[in-house]
Amino acid sequence: MIRIIAAFALCALSLIPLLWMVATSLKPPAEYISTSIALWPQDPTLAHYRVLLDSGMWRLGLNSVVVALGTVGLSLLAGLPAAYALARFELPKRFDIVFLGFVLVIKLAPPIALAIPLYQVLRALGLLDTHLGLILANQILALPFAIWMLLGFVRDVPYSFEEAAMLDGAGFVKRLLEIVVPLLMPGLVATAVFVAIMSWNEFLFALLFIQTPSKFTLPAFIATLINEDETLWGRLSAMGLIASLPVLLAVGLVRRGLTREVSVDQH
Amino acid sequence: MTASRRLLPWLLLTPALLIFAGLTLYPLGRTLALSLFATDYGFENAKFVGLENFQELWDSRFFRQAVTNTVVFTVVATVLEVAAGLGLALLLNRAFPGRTLVMTLLLAPFVLSTMVVTAIWRAWFHFDLGFLNNLLRAIGLPGVPWLFDPNLALWSIVLVDLWQTAPFAFLIIFAGLRLIPQDVYEAARVDGAGPWRRFRDMTLPLLAPYLFVAALLRSVDSFKLFDKVYAMTGGGPGQATETVSMFVYRQGFRFFDIGLASAAAVVMIVVAGLLAVVYAASLLKGAGR
Repeated sequence: MIRIIAAFALCALSLIPLLWMVATSLKPPAEYISTSIALWPQDPTLAHYRVLLDSGMWRLGLNSVVVALGTVGLSLLAGLPAAYALARFELPKRFDIVFLGFVLVIKLAPPIALAIPLYQVLRALGLLDTHLGLILANQILALPFAIWMLLGFVRDVPYSFEEAAMLDGAGFVKRLLEIVVPLLMPGLVATAVFVAIMSWNEFLFALLFIQTPSKFTLPAFIATLINEDETLWGRLSAMGLIASLPVLLAVGLVRRGLTREVSVDQH
Repeated sequence: MTASRRLLPWLLLTPALLIFAGLTLYPLGRTLALSLFATDYGFENAKFVGLENFQELWDSRFFRQAVTNTVVFTVVATVLEVAAGLGLALLLNRAFPGRTLVMTLLLAPFVLSTMVVTAIWRAWFHFDLGFLNNLLRAIGLPGVPWLFDPNLALWSIVLVDLWQTAPFAFLIIFAGLRLIPQDVYEAARVDGAGPWRRFRDMTLPLLAPYLFVAALLRSVDSFKLFDKVYAMTGGGPGQATETVSMFVYRQGFRFFDIGLASAAAVVMIVVAGLLAVVYAASLLKGAGR
C-alpha cells in the first residue's frame, strides 16, 4: 500500500512542472509575476495563445512539421534498405560489424563536434538556412537510430516467408514491398514516431543552420523567447504547451516502443 | 543471378553510405584536418600549425574549466539518474492498479523538447518570482540563488537533467528487472534471506549489466550537455556552467577560431569513440551470453 501511494506521489511530483506550464499559459501577467504559490489561475485567459496565433507562430509549427516529415522520410528511405541488407546478407570481411560500429560512434558522438564542417558542407551545397539542409543535418541523429532500431525489427521477420514467395517466383522488390514492409509496419511506425519526436525536439542544428527567424523550428523559437524577456512566462508557457502536445499525445503510443528500443540496445 | 545477388546488398546500403560519407565521414576528416591549422573559416588562408591548437587548449584555463564542469556534471548526473531509475524500477516492479498510467505519466518529462524543459525551469529558478523560491519563502525559508551562485548553478542544471532523464534510466533498468526469473527469489526465501539480503545478493548483481548500460548511455548524453546551458545560463555565472560543447560553439560560431574549436571537437570525438568502444564491448558480451 505504501508502495502504491509512493508511486502515485512521485508521479504527481514529477508532473508539477508540466502542470505549472499549463496553468501559467492561462494566467494574466499580474498572476504569474507574483510571489503567490497558487498553481491554478483565478482569472484564466487565452490571451497568450491569441498573441501567438496572431503573430503567425503556426507557421513555425509548420516548419517543425516539414522538417520532421522530411527527417522521418529520408531516414526510413535510407535506413530500411540498409537494415535489410545488414540483416539478410552475408557482407564480406565483417563489413557489417565495422558499419554498425561506425553507426554506433556516430550515435554517441556529440553533434557539436561535427557542426563546424557540417556548416561548411551545407554552405557549399547552398543549403544553409533551408529546411532541406536541416533535414540532411538531422540524419546524423536520425539515421543511426533508424538503422539500429529497424535492424532488430527486420531480424524478427521470419526469412521463411520470403523464401516461400521466392519459390512462387516473386522478385526482390515485390518480396520487399508485399511481404517485408507489411510485416514490418508496427516497427516502421514505432521508428517513424521516434525519429519524428527526435526531429521535433532537436535544437542545436536548428540554432546553427537556420538563420531567418521565419524559418525557425519551434525549439529555436522557444530559445529566442527564453532569452528575449526574462518573465514573459505566459506566452512562453503557451508556446511550450503547443510544442509539447503532439509529443505528449504520442507518448502513450510510443511507450511500448520505448521499451522496445531499450531491448534493441541490449542486443 | 549471383552477380546481382552480390551487388544487391551494396545497392541497398548505398543511400545510407552516401549520407554517412557526406554528413559524417567527411566532416569528421575535415574537423581532424582543421584542428591542425590556424584559420577563421576553411583551408583558404589557413596556416598549418601542427599541434599548437591542442597546446593552446591544454594551456587554456577556460577549456580546462569546461572539461572539469563537463566531467563533474556527467558523473553526478549519471549517478543520480541511475539511482533514481533503480528506485523507480523497484517501486513499480510489483503490479498494482494504475501502474501503466503511472509509468506513462512518468515518461512525460523525457519526451519533452529540452527547450521546453529549459523554459519551465528557468522560470522556476527565477530569484524574485520563481516558483521554487516562492515555495521556499511560503514556508519561511530564504530564496536560493539557483542560477546566480557560481557554486550552485551547475547543480541546478543537474536537478533539471535529473527530472528530465531519470525516466530513461528507469526504462532500461525496469526492462532488466522484468527479466530476472522469480524462482531465484523463491529459492532465496526458502533459505531465509530477508528483503535487503535478497536485494544485495540477487537483484543487484543480476541487474548490474542493465545499470551499466543505463549509466553508459546517460553519461554519453550528459557529456554532450549544450541546450540547457545555452538557454539557462549561457555558461555563466563567470564560467561556472561552461561545458565542452559550449566551448566548441563559442570558439567556432562566435569567435570564429575554427582551428581551436576543431581541436576541442577532436577531443570530444576521441572521448565519444572510447565510450563507443566500451558500449560495443558490452553489447558483444551481451550477445555472447
